[in-house]
Amino acid sequence: MKKLFYILLPVIITTLRVEAQNPSWVVPDDQKGKICLVRFTSDMAKQGEVIYLKNCQSCHGLPTKKNFASIQPSPGDLSENKVGTQKDGELFYRITTGKAPMPEFRNILTEDERWSVISFLRSFHKGYVQPDPEKMAASIGKRIKLSMTYDTVKRRILVKAVELTSDGPVPAKGAEIVVFVKRYFGNMQLTDPKPTSENGYAGFEWPQDLPGDKSGNVIVGARVNDPTGNMQEAIVSDTLAIGVPTNKPALTDTRAMWSTRDKAPVWMILIYTLAVIVVWYFIIYILLSVVDMRKIKQV
Amino acid sequence: MDLIISDLSHHIRLNKGFFLWMGFLVLAFLACLFAYTRQLKYGLGVAGIRDYISWGLYISNFVFFVASSLIGMLISAVLGLIGMKWVQPITRIAETIAVAFAAVAGLVIVMDMGRPERLAYVFLYARFQSPILWDVTVITTYFVISLMLLMLPMIPDMAVLYKRYGSLPSWLKPVYKVLSLNWTDHPEQNRIIHRSIYILLILIIPAALSIHTVTSWLFALTVRPGWDSTIFGPYFVSGAFVAGSAAVIIAMFFFRKNYRLKDYLTDLHFNNMGKVLVLVAFVYLYFNINEYLVPGYKLKRADAIHLRELMSGHFAVMFWLVQVGGLLIPIVLMLFRKMRKPLPLTLISVVVLIAAWFKRYLIVVPTMAHPFLPIQHVPDNFKIYTPTLTEIAITLLSFILVLIIITLISKFFPVIPVVETAKEKGLDPLKSNES
Repeated sequence: MKKLFYILLPVIITTLRVEAQNPSWVVPDDQKGKICLVRFTSDMAKQGEVIYLKNCQSCHGLPTKKNFASIQPSPGDLSENKVGTQKDGELFYRITTGKAPMPEFRNILTEDERWSVISFLRSFHKGYVQPDPEKMAASIGKRIKLSMTYDTVKRRILVKAVELTSDGPVPAKGAEIVVFVKRYFGNMQLTDPKPTSENGYAGFEWPQDLPGDKSGNVIVGARVNDPTGNMQEAIVSDTLAIGVPTNKPALTDTRAMWSTRDKAPVWMILIYTLAVIVVWYFIIYILLSVVDMRKIKQV
Repeated sequence: MDLIISDLSHHIRLNKGFFLWMGFLVLAFLACLFAYTRQLKYGLGVAGIRDYISWGLYISNFVFFVASSLIGMLISAVLGLIGMKWVQPITRIAETIAVAFAAVAGLVIVMDMGRPERLAYVFLYARFQSPILWDVTVITTYFVISLMLLMLPMIPDMAVLYKRYGSLPSWLKPVYKVLSLNWTDHPEQNRIIHRSIYILLILIIPAALSIHTVTSWLFALTVRPGWDSTIFGPYFVSGAFVAGSAAVIIAMFFFRKNYRLKDYLTDLHFNNMGKVLVLVAFVYLYFNINEYLVPGYKLKRADAIHLRELMSGHFAVMFWLVQVGGLLIPIVLMLFRKMRKPLPLTLISVVVLIAAWFKRYLIVVPTMAHPFLPIQHVPDNFKIYTPTLTEIAITLLSFILVLIIITLISKFFPVIPVVETAKEKGLDPLKSNES
């Protein structure tokens, strides 16, 4: 009996560990039904692959290759059945919200980009049939249109949300708006999300110390962030000259040790060249004088 | 005078022993060359080096060769300039070793290149900031200076042998005639050659220090454990003197025996070279203690892994053999006069030289095996470095090349300066006065 226990022990531990991978990563029911509103195409999957290689591969490895990172909890190979049987909405939710150590991609990838990653993954899932976007179109949320202005007096970003109904546009009340600023990698969320007011407006204080480019330009965006799925995603973004003008040359713009040869530090070129010239001056001088020696005849 | 000439030059002829030895070297060379053609054809994959441990035998070997070549500077320049008269018969041996090792060191780098036909790119796209460019520059310069320091003092010798040594092989005569540059012992000629040698002796000191310091910087300018050290320059230079002195002692022993030079390479020379070796080994030991004790006391995480691997891990056997067997025990032994006699000293030197080679391996490989980021998702042969047969053969190729160069130089030119030896005894080499 004891022997059997020891034989089974590793099996039990492995099973427990596999179980422990995502014991409580539950996707809310209302999110499971979310679907992509366009058909997955091979082009879309290709775009998704590019995004996947940049954002997901370092942990999940290449699909079907089982070369995911050996960390706990295991990221797993995303081509596996365990992933394939999940609904689109579940995958979308997991990508969007993340769960440490998996990062949330809410502010890093747009919805379209997240969907194209899913379309890339779906190309590995045998037997997967995409829910028909047209049939499902009826059940999706309200169509929202956003517009954004900068109030120079109150120094704040004003976002207006309008619902496009069949009777024409009406102010969208209670739409959760997120304002973000584009940075090198992904977007930086400005403040907590704010719901729109009665007449469809939401205002965001603009920080006065946010750096922009040389002329103070920053790319600001606003998005409806609606976890309930009642509203479709809507995005507006604009380049506004409201940042602090910052002129930071790129690290490779100036002469530096790490730059290319043409941008080597002057002192380094000088010392190297000088040393080579001095030493080789003597070498050539000696060579010439020794060769000259041949002309000297015994007196 | 004639006795000195024939004593120092009787080996300059094509005898059976030479053909046998050269034949053996050439055969071995061809066999190893075959290994290299395999590498040319199939790429560096035929060697055991992989993505993580990308510097293996070849680079360890390169460091060893650069190290061994440094001895030319120590013997001729440092000891010569401070007026040590006894080094005079050894200078040419030291320079021969320097030239051979420096010449092949450059080739070893080419052997480590996956696409040697792109060698020119190293120069075309060189960056002034890169220690690789500095290394290429100083090694080329050091090789040229060493070659000149070998050839210039030989000019009077060749003139004397050309004029006065009847047994000089006839096919060598034109070579001697050209290389002796009409030497007639004219005062002006003497002035030029002495001044030239003097300048070169001064020039070679910074050049030699540079080559090994820059070679050490190839490692020390990174932040990796085991390499990230401020004393790597002097550490390498002192280690180089240990390897080079041992190589010179071994060469002295062979020349003394095979070329019958007992009267010229005496016990005194071995005794003194033994003392030199003890001195540089002590300096090297001092640097070793620094190199391991300082990080070992602080024990930063990455250093701790590195040191554990060396002292009790994967490399422990090699490490302790090298440190104790190749450095500590030889030092203690050589403190005794009896151990500085030719035969025991040569045996000790062989051990020291082999240990010096493995020491380079211990400097290069363990650090590569432990990068800062964990090694993941790679085949096992990426994690543990095992040199392949092809790789070992190619490494042997470089050694054979060194032996060929040393053999050729020492066989066709006098190993011990003839004219200097004669003048030491108050003789005029170009005049026929009997001694």
